[in-house]
Amino acid sequence: MAVASRTPLPGAHGMGERIVDALLSGRGIWPAVPAIIVLTVVAVIPFVILLSLGFSDIEVSRGAIASRTFSLEYIANALTDPLYWTTFQRSMTLALTTTALCVFFGYPVAYLYLVGGRWTKRLILVLTIAPLLTSGIVRTYAWLVILGGRGVVNSTLMGLGLIDQPLRIMNTHWAVLIGMVQIHLPVMILPLIAVMSRHDTRLMEAAANLGASHLGTLRTVIMPLSVPGIGTGAALVFTLSYTTFVVPQLLGGGNYLNAATMIYEQVVYSLEWSKGSVSSMILMVTCLIVLVAIALVTNHFTRWTQGRDA
Amino acid sequence: MMQGPSGPATIVATTSPVLRIGGVFKRFGAVTVLDNCSLDVAEGEIVTLLGPSGCGKTTLLRCIAGFWEADGGSITIDGQDMARVPVNRRPVGVVFQSYALFPHLTVARNVGYALRMQGMAQAEAERRVAAALETVSLVGLEHRYPAQLSGGQQQRVAIARVLVMEPRVLLLDEPFNALDAKLRGTMQVELRQLIKSLGLTSIFVTHDQEEALTMSDRIAVMRGGRIEQADSPNEIFDRPATAYVADFIGSSNFWPAQVVDGQVALPDGQSVASALQGPVRVMARPHNLQIAPPSAGPWTGKIVFQRPVGPLIETHVETDGGGVVKVVAMRRESERAFAHEALVSLHIVSPALCAVYPD
Amino acid sequence: MSLFRHSSLSDALGIGLILAVAVFSLLLLVAPSIIVLMISFDTRAFVSFPPEGFTLRWYAEVFEQGELVDAMLNSLQVGLTVTLLCILLGVPTALVCARGRFRGTTALSVFVLVPHMVPGIVLGVAVLFAGALVNVSPSIWLQSVAITVFILAVMVRTVQSRLLRLDPALEEAAANLRATPFQSLRTVTFPLLLPAILAGAVFTFVEGFDNLSVAIFTHGFRDRPLPVELLALVQYTSSPLVAAVSGVQIVLAIAALVAVSLSIGLDNVND
Repeated sequence: MAVASRTPLPGAHGMGERIVDALLSGRGIWPAVPAIIVLTVVAVIPFVILLSLGFSDIEVSRGAIASRTFSLEYIANALTDPLYWTTFQRSMTLALTTTALCVFFGYPVAYLYLVGGRWTKRLILVLTIAPLLTSGIVRTYAWLVILGGRGVVNSTLMGLGLIDQPLRIMNTHWAVLIGMVQIHLPVMILPLIAVMSRHDTRLMEAAANLGASHLGTLRTVIMPLSVPGIGTGAALVFTLSYTTFVVPQLLGGGNYLNAATMIYEQVVYSLEWSKGSVSSMILMVTCLIVLVAIALVTNHFTRWTQGRDA
Repeated sequence: MMQGPSGPATIVATTSPVLRIGGVFKRFGAVTVLDNCSLDVAEGEIVTLLGPSGCGKTTLLRCIAGFWEADGGSITIDGQDMARVPVNRRPVGVVFQSYALFPHLTVARNVGYALRMQGMAQAEAERRVAAALETVSLVGLEHRYPAQLSGGQQQRVAIARVLVMEPRVLLLDEPFNALDAKLRGTMQVELRQLIKSLGLTSIFVTHDQEEALTMSDRIAVMRGGRIEQADSPNEIFDRPATAYVADFIGSSNFWPAQVVDGQVALPDGQSVASALQGPVRVMARPHNLQIAPPSAGPWTGKIVFQRPVGPLIETHVETDGGGVVKVVAMRRESERAFAHEALVSLHIVSPALCAVYPD
Repeated sequence: MSLFRHSSLSDALGIGLILAVAVFSLLLLVAPSIIVLMISFDTRAFVSFPPEGFTLRWYAEVFEQGELVDAMLNSLQVGLTVTLLCILLGVPTALVCARGRFRGTTALSVFVLVPHMVPGIVLGVAVLFAGALVNVSPSIWLQSVAITVFILAVMVRTVQSRLLRLDPALEEAAANLRATPFQSLRTVTFPLLLPAILAGAVFTFVEGFDNLSVAIFTHGFRDRPLPVELLALVQYTSSPLVAAVSGVQIVLAIAALVAVSLSIGLDNVND
């Protein structure tokens, strides 16, 4: 479509309609203005304020800011405090591990979607989308039931006589990891399926015709073509698991401190808003760095898509 | 007689034209898509814009419809300048390549759409819809949705939908593209007869020369945003104004030559007159060439390929001077006389029908 | 799979392994919900597996607990407000993003996407702080607006992708057939966008209803939304009550799923 030319203004009947017509036919930015205003007031300005509060010494009383003075103290503290380093490192490790495991468990599902029949495809879609429509807390709660002292895993293992004492899984790193992977798995599978369903099935037929085996076709045709899906899924899973609050809080038993729980405590319990600002900024910046890295890796493996009209 | 280009031919209409396109320019960024296009279309005439993709034919159509605004020049319908007239006020009906039928409306509501938008009384609108459906033989399908129709039926809905508006100019943008090859031929003839019976002034866009030759009263061959030649199908075929038109329409043979004293020597020893100077290119249609035994003339070669084309046979001869020449003849004669790889001589049947273009 | 006739043993084993992982993953996706549903009918007052007996007592109790019912109503209000705002703000924005003829439509698409890409808790903290600066304290309205900003991109993208798949000739045809831009919007574009708007509405409603990351910082002190209430409940109680709440949510999720599949079809959720 052309950029430059403008359709001439058509005539309309009523005054109101004439205004709507003017807004629509110009193909200008006007219909989006309310959204732009709301986004600016409720997102852009708050981000700027968040940034500025990180450079301030704030006193909070009754949910309002009583006083603020310029200070580099909190930024300096955050960069030297070992607590920050260990917390963010823990969050980062957890999120990266979760992302990797989600690829590992999610990719086969997408492959099954690709090769499966109509009902298999539908079943996979239902099982993937349904969890996204239930709350994260409900899904995490399920793991309390499964991994708890009298939960599914322990009952089964004891019933089989494999262990005498219930294993302590809850409130460990493992419980958090298992919960994270399961909760974020759908977010990985959906973009993969999206990419897969765009594949031309004739490509697979061509590969088979050229003598490729199942695994060969998967490795040489399907996987390279699904890299963009892996990239999208990984970016989503990483962002969510790096900044999640629910899973560590519930399955970590309250003493598993990750970046999100730390921010929550700083902002809501100890009312250290300057610290909260700095932590939020670190969270955002580190998250962005990983997202850029994921994008760069994805681009590297999808150079073939950067053709004429990329 | 046929002596190279004398500029695009223009038909002098006896009455004033319905549609007048005067020196239209259109640029997209640095690219000039329409370069000084001029064309007059007379009452009831079907004019085809023919050319390869990117030649500007669709752009010109979209400028007439008002989807795009021309950057220069004028478009007038019945003497009224269209520059300030919005799309929905132009007396123009467009049949889109994809038909653009509204998928959520029934056939009857698709056809009556324009009338509802104009706020026509329901009874009158229904009467007109029924009449339009009658015209395109779609009676009985009023309550179907577009997805429930065949390609040919969809095309007829698209036509009925613009017919109810009684447009002054009908614009058809490659309307046969979505149909399969077999249906295309019959639909072309039907559509031409329909448009002719309604006396609608029409512009028809296509890249298919067969379609153009079937549908048109006049063909405007476009290239690089310019109209190279606008003439009747026969004129375009027999007297192409430029080497480009000759090459684009029908099959042709070209070879280089020199003009000496107003004459161009042809390879078989004959000659043709030309007003041009210096190096030229000579064009002969394959049916203007004849194959004879090798001793019959000075222009000789070897048959490298033969194929039947309907009642004709097409023969490719590799000449001794290099280059391949295409010859078309009635099937009986050539088949009997010459086998594959046979040595032959070539003759130009009518030197006057050879065209000479500047090199 | 009959495509490959001469597959070797190792090939079959490899593919078998991959498919086994796929089946395991699918079980992993569905098993927790089923276990929660089973627990929600348990007769005992503590969570244990396997459940014993069958009772609807916990479901009855959900609706007897004033705080839970209030929280549900609050979340319902947030969900509806968010959905309404997203439709009002998002649909026109999608029209501009998909059909605008000025430079900067891409910039606009990115601008809408940014709040969605920022971690929810960062947005929540930012809105809380900004509110505090201008004396706007957390409330159900602040929460609704903040979640709207967070999820607006989903509505815009759902509608925009539908718009991009619509034949642009349809709107041109409407204009050619004498429709004014407003008539064209009302009679052609909007009816064709309706399924996408409905699908977007389901997703924005679910986000408004279930969002915790933004809500935890912006919700009103007295108007606690369901996720905040549930978080406390899960942490401090061990009865199957939570399982019953989860059961209610799972039923709602299935309803939402049916709504989506009827409006745009599950295959199009991604675009």
